[in-house]
Amino acid sequence: MRPAVVAVPALLLLAGLLGACGVVSRPDAAAWDDQATLALTDAGSQVATARLALTSAAKERTWSPYTTVLVAEAEEAAAKAEEDLARVQVPPGRADDAAAVLDLLDRAAGLVGEARAHAVDGEYDDRSLLDDLDRLAGELQKAAG
Amino acid sequence: MKRYFAVLLGILTAIGGFVDIGDLVTNAQVGARLGMSLVWVVVLGVVGICVFAEMSGRIAAVSHRATFDLVRERLGPGMGLLNLVGSMLVTMLTFIAEIGGVALALQLVSSLHHLLIVPFVAVAVWIVLWRAKFSAIENVLGLMGLALIAFAVALWQLGPDWGELVSGLSPAEKPGAESWATYAFFGVALFGAAMTPYEVFFFSSGGVEERWTSKDLGVMRANVFIGFPLGGLLSVAIAGCAATLFLPQGIAVETLGQVGLPVAVALGKVGLAVVVLGFFAATFGAACETGLSTGYSLAQYFGFPWGKFVRPKEAAGFHIILLVTTVIAAGVLLTGVDPIMVTEISVVFSAVALPLTYFPILVVANDPDYLGEHVNGRLANALGVFYLVVLTVAALAAIPLMVVTSMGQG
Amino acid sequence: MGSLAEREGYDVGLHLLDRQIIGSDDRLIGKVDDVELLLDDDGSLVPTALLVGLPALLPRFGRHLGARLSGAHRLVRAAAADQALPLVVGFDIVDDVSSEVRLSEPAYGLLHRMSHERAQDPRRCRVGSLLGTPVRCDALPRRSKVLDLRLVGAPGQPGEHRVTALLVGPGRPGALFGYDRSSEPGPAVVAAVIQWLHRHARVVELGPGVDVDHEAGEVRIGPEASLEPLRG
Repeated sequence: MRPAVVAVPALLLLAGLLGACGVVSRPDAAAWDDQATLALTDAGSQVATARLALTSAAKERTWSPYTTVLVAEAEEAAAKAEEDLARVQVPPGRADDAAAVLDLLDRAAGLVGEARAHAVDGEYDDRSLLDDLDRLAGELQKAAG
Repeated sequence: MKRYFAVLLGILTAIGGFVDIGDLVTNAQVGARLGMSLVWVVVLGVVGICVFAEMSGRIAAVSHRATFDLVRERLGPGMGLLNLVGSMLVTMLTFIAEIGGVALALQLVSSLHHLLIVPFVAVAVWIVLWRAKFSAIENVLGLMGLALIAFAVALWQLGPDWGELVSGLSPAEKPGAESWATYAFFGVALFGAAMTPYEVFFFSSGGVEERWTSKDLGVMRANVFIGFPLGGLLSVAIAGCAATLFLPQGIAVETLGQVGLPVAVALGKVGLAVVVLGFFAATFGAACETGLSTGYSLAQYFGFPWGKFVRPKEAAGFHIILLVTTVIAAGVLLTGVDPIMVTEISVVFSAVALPLTYFPILVVANDPDYLGEHVNGRLANALGVFYLVVLTVAALAAIPLMVVTSMGQG
Repeated sequence: MGSLAEREGYDVGLHLLDRQIIGSDDRLIGKVDDVELLLDDDGSLVPTALLVGLPALLPRFGRHLGARLSGAHRLVRAAAADQALPLVVGFDIVDDVSSEVRLSEPAYGLLHRMSHERAQDPRRCRVGSLLGTPVRCDALPRRSKVLDLRLVGAPGQPGEHRVTALLVGPGRPGALFGYDRSSEPGPAVVAAVIQWLHRHARVVELGPGVDVDHEAGEVRIGPEASLEPLRG
């Protein structure tokens, strides 16, 4: 077989693949829904982790660097979930949903950040923060469906 | 008495050395997402590694040949080179993941960023590979790895509904939210983590280094058939802990800190300290094993003197490879790549490379020129062929599943 | 473990190539990267040396890849006169061929470079270049090649090693994995698959009708040669 016969389709395939990986992804409505669900699940997992880390620390079941690392990593991941979805082009007709989801993700990132601040300061026992985390985890889980 | 002690020591180090960063992360992830519904894959993988480790151990004991000697002798230089490149890439990825794992374990104690710790870990690994005695590496780190038994204790303390946990073992109990593609992807990943090729390279090269003879076959078999399954039980305990604590709360495991959290919840600070020590030992031990395995495979393929029993001066090439791989691994980690992600990729690519390693072992284990009267029996052959089919299916499915599920996210 | 050579002769590709070479002092010398053969005028093939080192190994990677790799290797030591020459172990000091190749002399200082004259001697060829040589024979499928060389000889006695037969057939050298020998049952399934894949392969005794033409790069087998099926 001549090399060109192989090379041309291979190049076309490569070009097609690269074309699908633009700087901004523009998914259709269904794909956007999937990504939103993914982000919400992820954020829900991070909020629950932060909560579990704080309650374990309050019961003196972990040491301070461990809690800090755990919550700091949760904070990073929650922020990443929000950023990743925020960068995806919203398909027409999903603007309201998108605003609601991004708002929820923003609150999640903020709250986990607050949890991190508490963890670093050693205040593990803040009842209202734990309740907030609990409530938000529920909301995120419900929104993810 | 001394002999029994040696057997016991071998079994204990086999248990402690079985779990590495791939098993830790993958089992916790799977437990948190899919509950106990993939435990059968761990069982399948553990039986598989027992079958092939026993074969390669037998070859090492009787004919003093390590795995990569066989690969080139049976597959020839061309296929052997392809095999070498594939296995080296996978072992290198695993090596990177293990060094990252050591750094992550130390991060949990110090709260220093793991990137700051990586260079020190790399230097420590290299010094151990260069200076420490082979048996010291294996025994000390293997015994420390036993600390991971804390996962089994933690599972018992968490007090799950055992009936529910056992009924969750059926694949039909897969959580409804997860697709079958995700299920299959994690199945392949677990299989790859349980059967990582480096375990066999290391096991057989170790046998050659320790100058096993056919008299040691009994001890070798005890290590494999008792040690590995008990090590596999630790894997199941990790998955069980994650399934009990994380699955109901919708927590996905993405960090090493999360892997240890169930032990903290169940056993408190002491338990957590023990388990973090276990993380350190398991990953450090595996880092040494994978590091040595890269050196072993290259040296065995090209036929220059290798091993920890030859003095460094005589095995200069071997030690230069160890140094270079350690530097490369540290360099890759210092780019800031997430060690957990490297781990996830390494177990999938392990699955791809499995048939390359295990096919020559199966063929040679049947060759009386190497093994004389110790060739495979019917059972070993039946299992070997069965696993060859399973390995091939897993290897072919691994990459497509990785793409379809975007590394299990979908 | 009985010595192969004492039993029933051995196959160069299967039992000799890529095996470890061990000196009489138990030290690893290297791998059998290739084997040198002497083509006698009477048509017999006699192994004369084991070749060690990358200059011996690299050409075995096939016509295209092998040539390219050897070229690259020459560039590494462009100034050396002996860059393309392998190291030589004389076949007369081969003591035993079992799962390793044992020599009758200690490893220290044993290897020396092949001389230029020897490398250019047209009567000498390498097993690596002979394996995979096309076979012209009416009784065989068109794409048949030399798959392996069968040797007899008792080690330790110079001159006794001699190629007695060729394994020929379609397929790739080395892809029989030793399943052509009846002594290796293997897992029955694997053996059956490999034997089916090589169902056209035959053993042909060296002798009248068999012409190994190294210069033309082919082996001609006439009708008077007898083709036997593989054992096992």
